[in-house]
Amino acid sequence: MPDLATPLETLAARLAGISESSLPDEQTLIALAAIDPAAAAAWLLGSDDSGSWSRPRLTRFVSALAESAARSPGAVDTRELLEIVRRHGHLLAPQHAAELAAMARTEPADPLLADALQAALDKAPENPGLLRAAAELAVAGRQQDRAHALLTRLGRAEPGLATMQYVSGARQRLLRTNATPVRIALLSSFTIDTLVPYIDLECRALNLEPHIYVAPFNTWEREMLGEGSGMERFEPHIVFLAAAADDLMPSLAMPDAELTTSGEAAVDRLLTAATRFTSWSKAVLVVHGLHSVFRDSLGPASARLGPSRGEVLSALNARLADGLRSLPRSYFLDIGDLVARRRQGALDNPKLRHLASMRLSEPVLREIATGYAQYIAPLMGRTRKCVVLDLDNTLWGGIVGEDGPHGIRLGDTSPGSEFREFQQFLLSLTRKGILLAVNSKNNEADAMEVIRAHNAMVLREESFSAVRINWDSKPSNMLSLAAELNIGLDSFVFIDDNEKERALMRQAHPQVLTPEMPKDPARYRETIEMLPELQVLTVTEEDRTRTRQYVERRQREELRVTAQTPEGYLASLEIAAAIAAASERTLPRVHQLFQRTNQFNLTGLRYEPGVLSARAGDQGWRIYTAQVSDRFGDHGLVATAVVRADGDEWSIENFVMSCRVIGYGVEDALLARVAGDAREAQATWLSGTIATLPKNAPARDFYLRNAFTRDDAESERAMWRRDLREPGLTTPEWISVRAANGA
Amino acid sequence: MAPEVLVARVLGLSRNAVTDATSNTTESSWDSLNHVTLVLELESTYGVSLSAEDALAMTDVATIKRVLRTYGVEWDGA
Repeated sequence: MPDLATPLETLAARLAGISESSLPDEQTLIALAAIDPAAAAAWLLGSDDSGSWSRPRLTRFVSALAESAARSPGAVDTRELLEIVRRHGHLLAPQHAAELAAMARTEPADPLLADALQAALDKAPENPGLLRAAAELAVAGRQQDRAHALLTRLGRAEPGLATMQYVSGARQRLLRTNATPVRIALLSSFTIDTLVPYIDLECRALNLEPHIYVAPFNTWEREMLGEGSGMERFEPHIVFLAAAADDLMPSLAMPDAELTTSGEAAVDRLLTAATRFTSWSKAVLVVHGLHSVFRDSLGPASARLGPSRGEVLSALNARLADGLRSLPRSYFLDIGDLVARRRQGALDNPKLRHLASMRLSEPVLREIATGYAQYIAPLMGRTRKCVVLDLDNTLWGGIVGEDGPHGIRLGDTSPGSEFREFQQFLLSLTRKGILLAVNSKNNEADAMEVIRAHNAMVLREESFSAVRINWDSKPSNMLSLAAELNIGLDSFVFIDDNEKERALMRQAHPQVLTPEMPKDPARYRETIEMLPELQVLTVTEEDRTRTRQYVERRQREELRVTAQTPEGYLASLEIAAAIAAASERTLPRVHQLFQRTNQFNLTGLRYEPGVLSARAGDQGWRIYTAQVSDRFGDHGLVATAVVRADGDEWSIENFVMSCRVIGYGVEDALLARVAGDAREAQATWLSGTIATLPKNAPARDFYLRNAFTRDDAESERAMWRRDLREPGLTTPEWISVRAANGA
Repeated sequence: MAPEVLVARVLGLSRNAVTDATSNTTESSWDSLNHVTLVLELESTYGVSLSAEDALAMTDVATIKRVLRTYGVEWDGA
């Protein structure tokens, strides 16, 4: 082939000159890689020149080399391949990286290859080719934990079906882990097997070992009955029922069908099945809402002619959700909402729907599995208790120490509105019982000025249950936060925009969940919003007020530390007590207080509810209650006394006070009120008994320090009396008492 | 990328183990789910949309390569 002789000769001459020439050009080296990968590899590893190359240039050359080496296996020495992976693996496209690593692999595997891959992964942590090669090595080497962690990263980096199948298949080759098992049942009216590897990944990421039961095709109604069904024997923790509207209502594909009738029949079928299921199983049930891939046949005109398909489906979904709400442990999963969140791809792949009865296309599988994880995580106790936040570039844009409190980006317009939106989302976490805390490297005064005074801050001092703003390391601050809040490190999520701080935290405290954060603050909210570890299945009153209780406790403690004297502390608390007679509304709490109080309890008399009601309605008896608040918050109804108010001597039958307010003098304020009423009623004596109970030491000197005298000899029950004509029995001066009608 | 590489990846085989004769009867891992996965991978890798008949017919590597050529797909070593 004479026409090729000249170019080849020219090339050979240029290649021969490489060793002498100080700067071979890129084209020449790429040609060299194509015809002689060994020589190209030798040049790459031996030359100092490659160090001065730009990244795109180096990438082109290394890629050409990898491609050429793959075409002629054995041409490049294994050790050299390994070295190329180590130095340049992060530059390669996933397929090239995987091929190069496969060629560098020996039997048995050289441990240096794992090191080389790790070095490349440090620079390109999400390269699926490198992850797959490293995972394969770990699986082959039976390194359980490392293999699972790498496989999870691989699935996150490349969530296509082929990779996900590989990931879950590779896990089958590993031994059982000691992770908590979770049994998940999938019921559906269509092919749902493709979802299994995605659910598997979500569970592994939550450190759960999933066992997944996929019911035979379209048997969901029979399975839900129980009666010896496969699912009944499987004993699931949680069941996902995915019956597609288009299967339940074939009419959706028809132009003018009676949608409402067939739709109501479909909802009835689902609710009947759910009712049966909840009668025999204790599992959580999650039911897909109705969602159709078919549009209105008449397009825009449909909305003028009558309820559109969308309107009918919304009404049916409301009915389904309502029905599920009335059943125990049952949830409605809004598929429309999940699908709206997906980043790419349509829900429907018509070809696969016809070919394989698949109603969930490949791109939405990850979204659906993430949606499922929102139920699995809280059910299996994976909900974290506290979100710990960095400040600069996490809660606001910029650095307060450099930009100043007025120079940071935070407000209603961008840049700044992204951070405000994120703060609003974080605040919503506190309403479901998740605490917020701060862990920031800053001058405390600078940062607190923003938190207290910046007018665009959504989160304020009272939003945070604990705060660490100092120059200590963040991992050590985390330990002290755990001690202050009395929760474990595995209860924390740590959010920081700084990659290095995240890496340090992961290394020091792997138990803390430290999610990757996007560079763009506009994506902060959605990144954290869908974390399964921040979901709850129910919200109680206690959850709603948890942050407030922690914050009030911290504020009182701070005040106590700074106060000069105990009296000064009490005065600065601004304690207010509303003293009233027990009413219909407060009697249940009065009863509860007598039942629960062990420390400040004078006689131990617990009372039946009927007895309290009778006393409350009797002219000869009075039941007093004290509702207490201070500058930091409301303590609620915390003290009560039952008094026989009869004639010349009033007698206290029992008197209890919650330990929450011991040391505030509330008991003295309440006693002063009883004495005041008795004096007003012309009584001369006030009396009561104190029993020695196992835990009531704080109450035993109550009458003594109020100038009562002991009436009888030593015994388990001491009678005390006081002459009301003697002065004293007044309200402590740091408490302001107001009368309340108790209604 | 050669179709063999793709088949090897989806079925979890080594590249050298895949030949024209590799089929859904020789490989136990070539089940219906992996068949769907394979169709999805072929479509996304080569940027084609396979007809239902072709998708169902592609049960061995030789057929996969023959069908891909009818869609004008080319690859190294073809």
